[in-house]
Amino acid sequence: MQRRSFVLASTLGLSGALLAPGARAQAGKVTVVTSFSKDVTDPFKAAFEKAMPGVTLDVQNRNTNAGVKYLEETRGNNQVDVFWASAPDAFEVLKSKGLLQRYTPKATGIAPRVGSMPTNDPDGQYFGFAASGYGIMWNERYARANRLPAPKEWGDLALPVFHDHVAIAAPSRSGTTHLTIETMLQGDGWDQGWRLLKAMAGNFRTITERSFGVPEAVNSGQVGVGIVIDFFAFSAQASGFPVKFVYPTVTTIVPANVGIVTRAPNTAGAQAFVEFLLSPAGQAVLLEPGIRRLPVNPEIYAQAPADYPNPFKDPSLGARVRFDVDVSEKRTAVVDTLFDQLITFQLDALKAATRAIQAAEAALEKKDNAAARSLVREARDLIAAMPVSEAEASGPAVAGAFGGQRAEGPRQAELEQAWAAFARERYARARDKAQEAARLAR
Amino acid sequence: MSATLSRPRAGRRAFTPGQAALAIAIALFLAAFLILPVATVMYVAFTEPGSGAFTLVNVWDAFRTELFVRSFLNSLYVSAATVLLASLFALPLAYITVRFHFRGALLIQTLGFLPLIMPPFAGAVAMQLLFGRNGTVNLLLGDWAGINIPFMEGLNGVVFVQAVHYFPFILVNLSAALRNIDSAMEEAAQNLGSSGFRLFRRIVFPLALPGYVAGASLVFVKVFDDLATPLLLNVKEMLAPQAYLRITSIGLADPMGYVISVVLIVVSVLAMWLSARAIRRGDYATVQRGGGGLARRRLGPGQAALAYGTVGLILALVLAPHLGLLLLSLATIWSFSPLPDGFTLAHYARVFSDSSAYIWNTVTYASLAALIDVVLGTAIAYLVLRTRLVGREWLDWTASAALAVPGVVLGIGYLRSFYGVTLPDGRPLASLWLVIVLALAIRRLPYALRACHAALQQISVSLEEAAENLGASKGRTVRRIVVPLMAGGILAGFISSFATAAVELSATLMLVQSNADAPLAYGLYVFMQSAAGRGPGAALGVIAVILVGACTFLSHLVIERSQRTRGRQA
Amino acid sequence: MTPGPREEEAAALSVAGQAAGVRIEGVNLSYGSNHVLKDVELEIRPGEFFAFLGPSGCGKTTLLRLIAGFNQADTGRVLVGGRDISALPPWKRDIGMVFQSYALWPHLSVRQNVAFGLEERRLPRAEIAARVEQALGLVGLAHLADRRPAALSGGQQQRVAVARTIAIRPRLLLLDEPLSNLDAKLRVQVRRELRDLQRSLGMTAIFVTHDQEEANTVCDRIAVFREGSVQQVDTPMALYARPANLFVAGFLGSANILAGTPREGRFAVEGGPALPLPAGLRPPPGARLMFRPQDASLAPPRPDSLLTGTVAHREFLGPVLRYGVRVGEAEVLVDMPFSGVPRLHEVGDTVAITVDLGSAHWLTE
Repeated sequence: MQRRSFVLASTLGLSGALLAPGARAQAGKVTVVTSFSKDVTDPFKAAFEKAMPGVTLDVQNRNTNAGVKYLEETRGNNQVDVFWASAPDAFEVLKSKGLLQRYTPKATGIAPRVGSMPTNDPDGQYFGFAASGYGIMWNERYARANRLPAPKEWGDLALPVFHDHVAIAAPSRSGTTHLTIETMLQGDGWDQGWRLLKAMAGNFRTITERSFGVPEAVNSGQVGVGIVIDFFAFSAQASGFPVKFVYPTVTTIVPANVGIVTRAPNTAGAQAFVEFLLSPAGQAVLLEPGIRRLPVNPEIYAQAPADYPNPFKDPSLGARVRFDVDVSEKRTAVVDTLFDQLITFQLDALKAATRAIQAAEAALEKKDNAAARSLVREARDLIAAMPVSEAEASGPAVAGAFGGQRAEGPRQAELEQAWAAFARERYARARDKAQEAARLAR
Repeated sequence: MSATLSRPRAGRRAFTPGQAALAIAIALFLAAFLILPVATVMYVAFTEPGSGAFTLVNVWDAFRTELFVRSFLNSLYVSAATVLLASLFALPLAYITVRFHFRGALLIQTLGFLPLIMPPFAGAVAMQLLFGRNGTVNLLLGDWAGINIPFMEGLNGVVFVQAVHYFPFILVNLSAALRNIDSAMEEAAQNLGSSGFRLFRRIVFPLALPGYVAGASLVFVKVFDDLATPLLLNVKEMLAPQAYLRITSIGLADPMGYVISVVLIVVSVLAMWLSARAIRRGDYATVQRGGGGLARRRLGPGQAALAYGTVGLILALVLAPHLGLLLLSLATIWSFSPLPDGFTLAHYARVFSDSSAYIWNTVTYASLAALIDVVLGTAIAYLVLRTRLVGREWLDWTASAALAVPGVVLGIGYLRSFYGVTLPDGRPLASLWLVIVLALAIRRLPYALRACHAALQQISVSLEEAAENLGASKGRTVRRIVVPLMAGGILAGFISSFATAAVELSATLMLVQSNADAPLAYGLYVFMQSAAGRGPGAALGVIAVILVGACTFLSHLVIERSQRTRGRQA
Repeated sequence: MTPGPREEEAAALSVAGQAAGVRIEGVNLSYGSNHVLKDVELEIRPGEFFAFLGPSGCGKTTLLRLIAGFNQADTGRVLVGGRDISALPPWKRDIGMVFQSYALWPHLSVRQNVAFGLEERRLPRAEIAARVEQALGLVGLAHLADRRPAALSGGQQQRVAVARTIAIRPRLLLLDEPLSNLDAKLRVQVRRELRDLQRSLGMTAIFVTHDQEEANTVCDRIAVFREGSVQQVDTPMALYARPANLFVAGFLGSANILAGTPREGRFAVEGGPALPLPAGLRPPPGARLMFRPQDASLAPPRPDSLLTGTVAHREFLGPVLRYGVRVGEAEVLVDMPFSGVPRLHEVGDTVAITVDLGSAHWLTE
């Protein structure tokens, strides 16, 4: 980190200092906008600059959303060479706005698919350089104090014992969470997938607006269990936090990507950086304990520690679901908005209904009652009910409202209001039914 | 009449060409660095998606959406409740320290200011570790009494955290106002049999009302427009978080976020306008003889115990987050336990080895921004209160509206407006760090403006008339009489702007162009994105707090000294 | 403007018979090393209009504020109506005070200002209203009751301040330079009003001023202060006629003071002639000769003239002509009655001064 002396001087030397060619994009400097933390970028910067003497990597940290907006707003006078982040949806947005260059990496040995996802953008505008699996992270001290069992599967999180103990990032805010949700929906089917999601969501303690908010809450023990990408848990463990992590049998593997920005001031440098990431040397950096992501070159795993997860060997790591990129793309905004309107912004109502159902079921365990069972079933169906079918979700009438284009169908705001009202009304009825069931069972 | 308690007769005098030129210059500045950038973003609120045609249907949609109506009411509730709670924190601190001989009054004024400097992310984590559901307090309470107090849950949690965070606005402005009250005003009431709380309620507080309202309206608007705290508590059903989430979510292109932003701006300006009206009704020029304020009184032993107890309790509460931050910066691991597992200095070592540039950048940016703010704030306050210029109040409203512009909107607006402008050497204008300074100045202008406005309101016009009568031109009168008398208020404004600019992130995150130009808040953000960065992030936060705290302390020292020289002997 | 106090209102607010006397016993007060009040002993009688007179910084306001309770004495005590009030806070003393700046609360109307002290005493609403009317009526401002103080003239504000104080019917009324913010003409009128008001209400009043004319015209008795200690207490006329020391003599009215040494029946003026002393008169050691300008007269010099000098200036004061005559190092003021076409001495003339040493005073510091 260089220290610029002029910042000390106040307005006196201002004009001269401002015009000094200090930050000028020059040959030998590659500017990267990234959402990755210092723990990730510092080792890569060091390794890259060592591999390419005379080249500096200028890292600008921005969260994914800010990074995308930044590229959008500065496109007229672009100064950025590379966009480097996890979330594929961010790259999709950049791609759709023509902000990414087409490029064919020369690196060899990269697997075409990792888990259920294709490694690279089929159009060659962004490239997976690492993968990460989604799983469940929990705080051991918290679990001990609250007598929580160790979770193993997604379904475990819907158990009453986890009520009010689980955190997740909103899929509309976290591209990787979105992929996880989408994978569940594709794997279990639209209706069954949402049913499971809402059953879990009934136990949510909180829905954060940042991906890192979930591991942060688990690390400090404010929330017991979090649905997170593996490296959050691994790096927390590496820092000494009392946390554990498990991949459920059906997990999703999400790629982390890199892309070259249109009209990059240093395209050659950008290409060099991409090639470095995909080279064996760059892939090996991923194995560092502070980074701990899954290389996309299967051969690198030979250098990894024995217990390192390997999606190319272990079939449970994301291979079960065949991820359909087209389906995902068409309904991205619809899925996110449904999650927000049905879950995030109705969380209190959803939790109240879930709590009531769990209470009724606990009562039924002690003393069975057919009528009550049927009421509980109805309550669960009410919670699981969806305002739009799978076909509608990608159909023009609904998905079209989210395109930012003038559409014939209802406006986005109208859809949102309708969905929220739909959920609110059903959650209230579900709670009433479950309470009624509890009374019958008593 | 040789002497009258003359009111500041706003607009009693016609304006001079110099004043008109000043007003135009300020208007141009605001147009270039506030209205234009924000308008380039906000116009979306009134366009049809896709076609871009003008429409009001989005506004109509917003008012029909249950979520937004609920969010609106929640925001109103939280803001009003926060003002109440923050007043409970600020009133005793301000009164006790300003009106009595109180050991450590200076320190308390400084410490009482620190909560405003809540470093992003790190402060939030620290607060959760102390007051969260499984924070220190609740873990201990759980062990001892088996109870759990939801300090940080739901809307009331937001009220609690916001009151702790923003009460210094009231403290600073109220203290300045109290210092300006002529002691005879209070003594006259005592002489007529009034004492204690009745005296405060009936005489002292009403006389300090301009300062209080300036602070309270800032708190109201700030809380109404704040998105960081609700989001940290995961309360999303409020207006500002809704706007933020919608504007920054990738792939969502609907205009609703901008509509909400417009609502935020309108409500904020309305609140400012109402508060200004409330003040104008009364007559608050209490500085007759160049101020000097009250002769400080001595406390009896019982009173002293009560006063120290009250002050100690409030300070303990409002400074707890900073204590938490300090612990966090020294902690090895702190997770689900009342105190960290162990302590280390390693985080500081890491921060000092690679982040010292952040510190210098922060001091430079924040002090330049605050300087711009007090100059503009004094000028606008003067034009509004002392001239009859047409539309002078619009300068005030416009500048105050900056409070309601989400940082991210301003950031995007700056990129949109200034990135296309190229400097001679080919770099875009927006890549200069000066642009960060301007953005910070615009974001924090309302703070300085309110403080300057309140200070000028308390000064009797006759003091200026005296100077003019003795042959001073308007310009010289402002320089030699008005500004020195406003010094306390100006300094309060400077501190508010400086301190909050030093930890500002949302606009900065958009505008930082390279690590070398980045301020502290940005460095903090970068650290706080990983588990290993938590300690160093907290250390950087502590450094920010100490840095700003030291500057605040120095400023208070200056205020006290000028008070002393101006103070009158009985 | 205002006529004298209305009898009816005055009767309603009168405290006659309850007016308190004040005793100040051995009061000392220091601010750090600055000894502001030194062994002050005073006795103020019930119903008396008493003045604290002295130059600024002499401690008179400090003593007034001490009586009101805003200052604490280091030693000594203050008794009002025979009761030691030293330990009472200001709001329990029942002593009215009119502040120099009036200290009218700008956020309250005139009526609210006047009602304040009554409300603090938790009086019934009807009584408050009646007393406010009476107090405002007494000062002739009933018609301005709903104005804000800022909308009043200085004289009106002063009267509101007075009304506010007398509304509570204080046992003792303190006035801190109440006329200093008024112009000269108004001052004469208001001081008369104050005097009448005090009489008709029967209050004990203490009036702080640095203006001897104000004190003389308004007060029954005057305490002259200098550097924190009381120099002399007496009626205005007695103070003028029989000043206790040079300071009092100089402060009340004009005085000629000549330093010198008594020697063999004569008084040798410093840098001047030796004046013969009347038989049997022995000035105390270190004493100076003091005489009022009207106790001397001027004449053209004669060979046997003892005290001669040069006219340095001349002022026409209406009834008298005041000459300043340079005698050696000193300047002597002499008032000559003005009657029609007088015989004038011009500046530069040498004149002889005649002093009746029998009516002169011999004073020390």
